[in-house]
Amino acid sequence: MDNTINFGIDLGTTNSAIAKFVKGEVVIFNNPLDYGRATLPSVVSYRKDKIIVGTQAKQYLERDPKNVVAVFKRKMGTAESYKIKATGDSVTPVQLSAEVLKQLKTFVNTGDQLNAVVVTIPASFDTIQSNATKEAGQLAGFDQIVLLQEPIAASLAYANMKKAKDIEDGQWLVYDLGGGTFDVALVRIKEGEMRVLDHEGDNFLGGADFDQLIVDKLIIPKLNAQYKFDDLRTELTSASGRLNGVYHKLCHLAEQAKIKLSAVPSAEIEINGFQDASEEDVDVEVTITRSEFNDLIRPYIDQTLDMIKTILTRNSLRPHDVQYTLMVGGSTYIPFVRQRTEEVLQIPINCEIDPTTAVAIGAAYYAATKPKEITKPTSAARRPSALSIKASYNKASKEKDELFAARVTGNIDGLFYRIVRQDGGFDSGLKKLTERVSEDLPLVQNAFNYFVLTVYDGQNNPVETDMELIGINSGFAISGQPLPEDICLEVDDLDHPGATRLLPIFERNSILPARKPVTLPLTRNLIKGNEQDQIWINVYEGPQTSLPAANKPLGVILVTGKMITRDVSKGSDIEITFNMSESRDLTVAAYLTMSDQEFKNVFNPKARETNVDLLREHIGDLADQLDDELETATEKEEYETASHLTKLKKQLSQLVEEADKLSDDDVTDKRYQLEDQKRKIAQELDVATKDKRINKVKELYMKVKDECKEMLDQAGTDHERNTFRNIVAQEPSFLSSNNPLRIQEKSDEMQHITGQIRWRTPDFLLGIFKWLCEQQHRMNDQTQAKSLIDAGRFAAESKNWDRLKEVDYGLLELLPRQAKEQAASKIGFGL
Amino acid sequence: MIPEPARVPKLYIDILDQVFEIEKKLASIEQSNSISRNINRLKELMAAINDDAGLSYEVPLGEAFNETRNDVDASISGDSAENLVITEVIKPIIRYRKGGIALIARKGVVIVQSAKP
Repeated sequence: MDNTINFGIDLGTTNSAIAKFVKGEVVIFNNPLDYGRATLPSVVSYRKDKIIVGTQAKQYLERDPKNVVAVFKRKMGTAESYKIKATGDSVTPVQLSAEVLKQLKTFVNTGDQLNAVVVTIPASFDTIQSNATKEAGQLAGFDQIVLLQEPIAASLAYANMKKAKDIEDGQWLVYDLGGGTFDVALVRIKEGEMRVLDHEGDNFLGGADFDQLIVDKLIIPKLNAQYKFDDLRTELTSASGRLNGVYHKLCHLAEQAKIKLSAVPSAEIEINGFQDASEEDVDVEVTITRSEFNDLIRPYIDQTLDMIKTILTRNSLRPHDVQYTLMVGGSTYIPFVRQRTEEVLQIPINCEIDPTTAVAIGAAYYAATKPKEITKPTSAARRPSALSIKASYNKASKEKDELFAARVTGNIDGLFYRIVRQDGGFDSGLKKLTERVSEDLPLVQNAFNYFVLTVYDGQNNPVETDMELIGINSGFAISGQPLPEDICLEVDDLDHPGATRLLPIFERNSILPARKPVTLPLTRNLIKGNEQDQIWINVYEGPQTSLPAANKPLGVILVTGKMITRDVSKGSDIEITFNMSESRDLTVAAYLTMSDQEFKNVFNPKARETNVDLLREHIGDLADQLDDELETATEKEEYETASHLTKLKKQLSQLVEEADKLSDDDVTDKRYQLEDQKRKIAQELDVATKDKRINKVKELYMKVKDECKEMLDQAGTDHERNTFRNIVAQEPSFLSSNNPLRIQEKSDEMQHITGQIRWRTPDFLLGIFKWLCEQQHRMNDQTQAKSLIDAGRFAAESKNWDRLKEVDYGLLELLPRQAKEQAASKIGFGL
Repeated sequence: MIPEPARVPKLYIDILDQVFEIEKKLASIEQSNSISRNINRLKELMAAINDDAGLSYEVPLGEAFNETRNDVDASISGDSAENLVITEVIKPIIRYRKGGIALIARKGVVIVQSAKP
């Protein structure tokens, strides 16, 4: 167990934060319910059955002031209390501060038991206020509370950042301009003792005021000038005003613009979505320049500087007596604040620490130097884990929310519970634990929803229970059934011109319903009106590793030149979207981007579609393939395979005959029978030759790998070597998969590396250049070709390889398309 | 324990905000067009940035709002804080989905108002 306190809390007027010192560094804990932020708004909201602290409470601040309390820190140490309408009770600033401290405990995800902490207080706090802060700490369950003044905390954060072991004697200012409050302090260190000499502040000045100024002084006048409004300001700012919703939007946009203006000289605010008095739609872009913004805030910044001047005068100091002004608080990000402070005071400013978390960080550094006075375990650890929770809920749901119910047994006196969804999007707030708990849990659609139910004691220390994670699956995998076979699309195999392969769309065991869009470049032109120009969208059911003909055709969409509204070029995209319902109806929609047309069809696996033309074509292809395989088998003296293939050939010849006899509009079942027979033959061919195909791709892979290794040894980069090693590391998995496509994919990746290296080697560049020079007579633009060739010769002579590469690329572009493709395949271009 | 919120490059969030803005403006164009197809395409591309993970946005317009809801930053408009519903979405909720898990990458920014009886 650590013997120093280590935890520091910035208990701020507007925002609070918690940090921990760990092995020489300070870790600031993120707010688990407010993404990317490390701070917690110091706002507490009361409901009949629960207490909410932070961002959610802040949202209700303006509209529900009778139940939400903020800026209570100012009232610390006074007899004042706040009457809460929802509960009928009164709460004191000490109780409210304790709620904030308790909430901060929940940020700590390191499993530490928090019983000692350093809490920061403003320099202006007197003894009574300081004691009140200590009391809040005790109420929150801390046994040891050490107080530290905020300006000192900020200074410590800076000193530690600079790794200054001993800070030299001297004095500086800490300028703290936050979201809603301003504080300035004069800090001095003398003989190792740091203390606050003087301070000033304004509890109603901060960044939020600047946002409202932008709306009030810049946006409203611009809207009034361009549109007609009776009284725009009132309509916006009055709670019952017609445009009150717009006001909040404008404040948000103004805040965004303010943040942007810290980085760029002007920011645009787009305003739309409402109407003026004469019902004209407001749609305007207001530009705010940094200088306009600076003029707006100047009087406010000057006010803060006047306070500093007062401090300096009061302490008989001249600017050069002060080392620097340490800038703290989110609003010190504004360049004008920094610039004006330096300009007016003539004291250098220091912006080296993170202004939003500096105080908490400094508190943690201080905490690391303070010994723990108590070593007894906390009350939470003392509590026996006798609490048992029996939960009941649906583990799968299609509803937007699901009822969770639980029965709690054990001693529940003085305990609270809280349910939080794992994405942080839902937080029940802290509620009193009762014997029966019931809660509507909102679900994120189409996702696994996990909720954590945590029980806390009165001081927000977690209490051990036997409750497990609440898991509810929303949307999918509830009534959906798994797909029995792969659903694939037939595509041109660009590696093997003239051949096709299957692209998996939905893999076997995918849960239905399912949807998948694919976008592919067209490999042929479609001329408007030309019936012969066709695109076939063939969908198959069956293993993706098989040949297309061996699988069951689910449906076809044929798009011809006659169906299109304009010519569609090769290379333009076709988007095909597949939707499969739970009852396995497949909707295929093909969209040609160039003609902006969609072709859609619904296929039912029970009512298969078979196109006679396509059937004949497939039978023809199958016959060719069978001949090739038979020839190879005979050549290699694989007599068993050859005899099997001969049998298949006989069956297929019969099939060809029958298919030829079939008319295009045949209404009998003949086409389906032929289709089935064709598929059976293709499947047998697939099985008989699968080993051969796998061996072939494996051989190719090994060849490509050796080639790649050689190139890497010659001229590979570290990145290329890494990529190579990664592929090799995956070998056991893909080589044993017996999936030719997967192995092919890896060969392609290797080839890509080889290609990349080749294009850097002089021999290759020279070889290509020589070949391109021979092709000059075929090039599209002879003048340009000549000039490029001259440039190439010069580059070769002067050994300027980068230039020669550019020339080679340029010359390739001049080749007619077909020749270019040929060249590309020779030199390893393409996919 | 609540996992760390999804950290994704701000560029992706900015792109999705723009897609959302375009989608919003598109709703007011009365002429028929196929722009929504391109928007859907963009959304699909973002939803599959990696093989099994991606980003998408949710527009909670018309949904109920109360203090348990932590996926949006809300400004309450009007003079009542009872029976609140989301009446305007300034920025959508951006979610990072991986496998079946959906985390929040950026909270939504919304205006809420008491539902009229």
